Amino acid sequence: MKLIINGGEREVDARTMAEVIDRLGLSGKPVVAEVDGHVLVAEEWEAFPVSPGMVIELVHFVGGG
Amino acid sequence: MLKDTWRIGECEMTSRFFLGTGLFPSPFVQQEAIAASGAEVLTFAIRRVNLESVEDDSILQHVEPGSFTFLPNTSGARTADEAVRIARLARASGLSDWVKVEISASDKTLLPDPIETLRATEQLVKEGFTVLPYISDDPVICRRLEEAGAAAIMPGGAPIGTGLGILNSYNLGLIIEEASVPVIVDAGLGTASDAALSMELGASAVLMNTPVAKAKDPVGMALAMKLAIEAGRLAYLSGRVPKKRYASASSGLESMMLKPASAGDFGS
Repeated sequence: MKLIINGGEREVDARTMAEVIDRLGLSGKPVVAEVDGHVLVAEEWEAFPVSPGMVIELVHFVGGG
Repeated sequence: MLKDTWRIGECEMTSRFFLGTGLFPSPFVQQEAIAASGAEVLTFAIRRVNLESVEDDSILQHVEPGSFTFLPNTSGARTADEAVRIARLARASGLSDWVKVEISASDKTLLPDPIETLRATEQLVKEGFTVLPYISDDPVICRRLEEAGAAAIMPGGAPIGTGLGILNSYNLGLIIEEASVPVIVDAGLGTASDAALSMELGASAVLMNTPVAKAKDPVGMALAMKLAIEAGRLAYLSGRVPKKRYASASSGLESMMLKPASAGDFGS
């Protein structure tokens, strides 16, 4: 299905948020997710179903002061 | 001398050096500089994952978990709403409920927007965050932020990354004098004497990134900053002498008076 991830449209074969993370090669990495404007903690990913057109932001920590 | 510790919320600290993690030439140099600094608090930024290149480029892979308190910042935010959003994302990582509110109002100076910073602080305090706002060195907005529930106030010495040092030590001194939460001098420092001056003015701590990361020898500069912070703190606790307009002899004028020599003194 088509999802809007980090500002771009992507075709992702996934039913849950955990699968989205897996398909993007981000499993086990310190990534934080926001779905349609709501923060989704990692414990919720497995049970959270995704549907076409969802807007997903995936962020992580980078160097900064 | 008693152990000189200080607190933010429930967190008791020995080090008075918050170190930023940006701009280091390599992860190795960064780790060495962190070790040399003795810092217990590290700052980070939050950015979108680059989906075209998902190798693990998170800064966290280079930092030993559990060793530090993490202070994520909201850099890149232009409004209170954006800062709150970034803070919520940072907290969802489970690493920290501390947040450095940083809302820039100008690309040229990166000076903080005081109105938006106050709004974000009010909201994040309501949501239970430990809020440390980066703000300009204005005593009035600093007081307003404290009233809003900020756990510490972080006035800048000069604009971010300029290395200009402390541009207004009068304002900074006034902020420190009036605050009942820790004051952490954040941004604009250039070298060790700037860190020492911050502490001599009575700051609780100093937050730096660029002057360490962009030094010719970041590890050496991290140690220099650590020592300067300690020296400045000790000088503050010990109390400097008042400044005077004119000289005053330290050995007493009486002892300087030598009798004029007579011919007999030199023998024959």
